[in-house]
Amino acid sequence: MKRIFIDPAKCDGCKNCTIACMASHADMTPRRGSLDELRQAVYALDLTDPAVQSRNRILSDGQGGYKPIFCRHCDVPDCAGTCMSGALEKNLETGLVEYNEDKCAACYMCVMNCRYGVPAISPDRKRIIKCDFCAHLEEGPACVRACPKKAIEVREV
Amino acid sequence: MERFVIIGAGAAGITAAKTLRAFRPQDVITVLSTDEQVHSRCMLHKFLGHERTAEGINFVPADFFEKNDIYHISGQTVTGIDTAAKTVSYGEGYSVPYDKLLIAAGSAFFIPPIPHFREAPNVFGFRDLSDALKIDAAFAGGKRVFIVGSGLVGLDAASALCRRGAQVTIAEMAPRVMPLQTDGYAASVYQKVFEDHGCRFLLGIGASDAVVDGEGNITEVILSTGEHVPCDFIIMAAGVRPRIQLAQAAGIRAERAIEVDDHLRTSAPDVYAAGDCTGLSGVWPDAMAQGKAAAENMAGVGTVYEKPYPFKNTSNFFGVTMLSVGRLDQTEGADVIVHRTPKEYKKAIVKDGKLTGYLSLGDISNSGLYLHLIKNGVDVSGKLDRIFRLTFADFYGINEKNGEYVYTV
Repeated sequence: MKRIFIDPAKCDGCKNCTIACMASHADMTPRRGSLDELRQAVYALDLTDPAVQSRNRILSDGQGGYKPIFCRHCDVPDCAGTCMSGALEKNLETGLVEYNEDKCAACYMCVMNCRYGVPAISPDRKRIIKCDFCAHLEEGPACVRACPKKAIEVREV
Repeated sequence: MERFVIIGAGAAGITAAKTLRAFRPQDVITVLSTDEQVHSRCMLHKFLGHERTAEGINFVPADFFEKNDIYHISGQTVTGIDTAAKTVSYGEGYSVPYDKLLIAAGSAFFIPPIPHFREAPNVFGFRDLSDALKIDAAFAGGKRVFIVGSGLVGLDAASALCRRGAQVTIAEMAPRVMPLQTDGYAASVYQKVFEDHGCRFLLGIGASDAVVDGEGNITEVILSTGEHVPCDFIIMAAGVRPRIQLAQAAGIRAERAIEVDDHLRTSAPDVYAAGDCTGLSGVWPDAMAQGKAAAENMAGVGTVYEKPYPFKNTSNFFGVTMLSVGRLDQTEGADVIVHRTPKEYKKAIVKDGKLTGYLSLGDISNSGLYLHLIKNGVDVSGKLDRIFRLTFADFYGINEKNGEYVYTV
């Protein structure tokens, strides 16, 4: 089981991870998703489109530090534990909390119940926006590879 | 080998079955349900609105019972529990023995004692798939619908039927729609969007009598104002009552709801209860949590179930989204902070440095932490100037061992 580990002390707030997340999910076709590919995708991004949303957020603590908010794919997930449609499920083999958009009824129980405030809602109010570990990218989560400070890294838990 | 029996296939029953299977790979698990097929009542409006099929509102995979090796006796109503012989009888004289039993029978819609309402064949609830099927059939015969109650259930039914071109009238005793979740402003926003879709609201007005035809069907509802409202059928959404009859008949302590201790045990040995029938909470997430806790205790894990915080909900009608937590009506001695822009409306109730209520209408993204702050009485006194911009960054902590987050206050 993998998780993106965070070292907030290393984060300098550049938000490369945020842009990488947007670029990764702007085009969800399965691909290698190399760093080069992602760089190209970043320049194709329309940042004025409300549908371009990041699954992670980097928040300033107001004192020069930064607090990265990434889905933890929790061991006991509040989101999946309160989902009324079966759209959110903890995969016990991979450890990921998987989201099935087709099942989702956009009731937003998960939004209310995630104590860390991770899930966001889509502009059309028909689904949620949540980390999928870049399942469509062979090389794994785009955010991690985009981080120049190694403040986030994928580790086995 | 132990034999586990679960009565009910809703949020609590299914979660319990799944949890039991995880702890007990070899034991026998049986789920009995009146429902023919598993469905999420929170998605019933998707079925009634013809957006999804019955299979489409199943909240577990189609092969759930097969894959988890659980017996599902569906379409059969439980007729009795014998706590001495440890058997559950159902259908036409069948019975199944148990070593541990979970009652997750849910709740039933309530019809107030208005003349004709309890007997009329065209008065329906909106709780189960069977209710939705009845409404669907009635809708084929006439499109004038009278709904009693404008809570989440009433509005769910209204939104589905409006989508299909119904002429909907909703009577609400309170002076505003969704009175438990809204304040005046939020209610007005929802009222408008429903009116734009063809609904008519009668606020602060109740039904007091009815005109019936030769078959006892209600053809006109007579309001407390004396007005007559013609209708083809009626949907009751004026509250529910825990299903306790089975428990009571078996001698299990249940006055208004089935009594449970902090391990969700009832007064009968080896009989547990979870979900709406315990009366502890009426919302889906709590039913799931109770199903899980009860199952863990049935499996011998020893889980203490902490009282739920039931004042919480989200709604999404016609794309208007709202999150409502806590007691918005209790403002005595509290600070009420309001933020309003053309796109958003937010309200926070703060008492003694703690949030006691929070309402957000609009983009409710990332707002789950407000439930945590209210439920746990977290001190926010130093943060009142940015009460609507609180994030987990304000309480940030990381468990170094497994990388999960923890709250630091």
